[in-house]
Amino acid sequence: MNTLTINGKLINSRGDLAWLLTTGVLCLIGLVGLANYLIQGHDAYNIYRQVPWGILISTYIFFVVSSTGLCLVSSLGHVFGIKQFEVIGKRAIAMAIITLLSGFAVIAAEIGYPFRMLIYNILTPNLAAAIWWMGTLYGLYLVFILLEFRFMIKVNHKWAGYLGLAGFIAGVAAHSNLGAVFGYLDARPWWHGPFLPIYFILSAAVTGCAIILLLYAVRYAREEMPVRISETLVSISRLFAMLLGILLFFEAWKVLTSVYGGAPGKYEAMMILLSGPLSWSFWGFEILLGMLLPFILLLATGGRNLKVATWAALSSMIGIFFMRYNLVVTGQLVPLRSDVDAVGASGLLSYTPSLTEIAIVLGGMGLCLLLYILAGRFFNLDADNH
Amino acid sequence: MSQERKKRWVMVVDPDKCIDCKACDVACKRENKIDAGTDRQVYRNWITSKGVEGTFPHLKQRFEPSQCQHCDNPPCVKVCPTSASYQTPEGLVAIDYKRCIVCATCILACPYDARFKSPQTKVIDKCTFCAHRIAQGKLPACVDTCPTKVRVFGDLNDPDSEVSRLLARHHYYVLKPEKGTKPSLFYLS
Repeated sequence: MNTLTINGKLINSRGDLAWLLTTGVLCLIGLVGLANYLIQGHDAYNIYRQVPWGILISTYIFFVVSSTGLCLVSSLGHVFGIKQFEVIGKRAIAMAIITLLSGFAVIAAEIGYPFRMLIYNILTPNLAAAIWWMGTLYGLYLVFILLEFRFMIKVNHKWAGYLGLAGFIAGVAAHSNLGAVFGYLDARPWWHGPFLPIYFILSAAVTGCAIILLLYAVRYAREEMPVRISETLVSISRLFAMLLGILLFFEAWKVLTSVYGGAPGKYEAMMILLSGPLSWSFWGFEILLGMLLPFILLLATGGRNLKVATWAALSSMIGIFFMRYNLVVTGQLVPLRSDVDAVGASGLLSYTPSLTEIAIVLGGMGLCLLLYILAGRFFNLDADNH
Repeated sequence: MSQERKKRWVMVVDPDKCIDCKACDVACKRENKIDAGTDRQVYRNWITSKGVEGTFPHLKQRFEPSQCQHCDNPPCVKVCPTSASYQTPEGLVAIDYKRCIVCATCILACPYDARFKSPQTKVIDKCTFCAHRIAQGKLPACVDTCPTKVRVFGDLNDPDSEVSRLLARHHYYVLKPEKGTKPSLFYLS
């Protein structure tokens, strides 16, 4: 076992090997899914005319929300000058890059012609399209955070700060445009409006806190956590609790305004989550695991117990994955015409991801883990001692 | 007049005449080489059953044929990142297939469910008002084939055209006016 190395560093524990094995299996499943997609095209997916966006879109959102969230939380340190948060900067930005790349990989398997997009985004851009802005701004954001990471590695705080600010602005702009991709659609009353661009930024910040707690729980699983790190993590877990509280508040008003007047389109969509075919995903994952349980755990311990905070973060991340799925799928299940063939007895459309889609989602997770393991081997992601 | 007047192509539909024979669907698929195979979600036009009205023995079955509305304010054009969906000067909503990346946002933006991914071209497709036939001075295939003349096609900017005269004489409605799309399909009521 001790002969296995990455970048000259020994893989010398069972923990490391377990992570590598998990990553390898996930990547392999992803490659099988990808191969099937390359052979069969979109026929390998369960998306169709009335539900053209499936779990790959929601997983893309899951990843890019994570990236924006990590950027937001890390910018508290080297952009907004809250010294305490500077220790988490490098690891957070590394993971922001990795989650963004994983998101791009997943959506490349969903968009029919990703390379054509790169060409015609430049040749014939449509400045009225939120997707154009999202794609372009995420591209810029990637450049900024890559440079920011480079300056962090070189311990150039001045330039890391400038690029952090640029990344922060591009990230927030890109991410709110992702919300606008949904929010601009007048045809879909449940998505339409200013709520989603704003909610996406808030839920990104929640996700950022959760991922940082998880990353450090793994980093210091087998060694003593330095005091300045644990103090920062306690602050982050308190921030996490506060943001979860605000998110619950947002969610409550989304639910109430959707059902209050019984407006067509909005009401039926909300009822899919409240008591319809996706209620298990809404109540069990999005609300309970995603928000309520972590909120209660953090409040009960005042955020001081980092073990509990780690469990809260894990619970929240699982819930948030389903939260993205609920958002994307539910918005499409209310048919625009009542008598289309795909409408079932309930009067609703339905969607269940295919095995190929699930395999690509798992592959995306595998890619994310693989890149993180490699980043840890090639770069020192711990804070510099000064 | 040296300069030709700008045209605005529209379709006037008289739903009361529709007998749900689906000749429009067949003619469209044949004219535009759409092979749906076994996929029931592949079509450019469709007929919605409005159900049975009245009480026995005075019953009436109503149908509402429809397709891309060639909106004057088309949401599908706004959301397309690569400008693959665009509007022609004559008011047609068209797709430049080579620029389409199949992000499918236009499918979701269309309030009429008029768009789908073509199994032949592998990009997003929809009714073109048979632009290639209009260019030859012919009518769209669905208009040409309809046995009961449900559909009338023409230039709304020409006050003497049949569509202009029909809309001047009859009450009419458009589908989902609240979406602000300003459709080019007018239904006689």
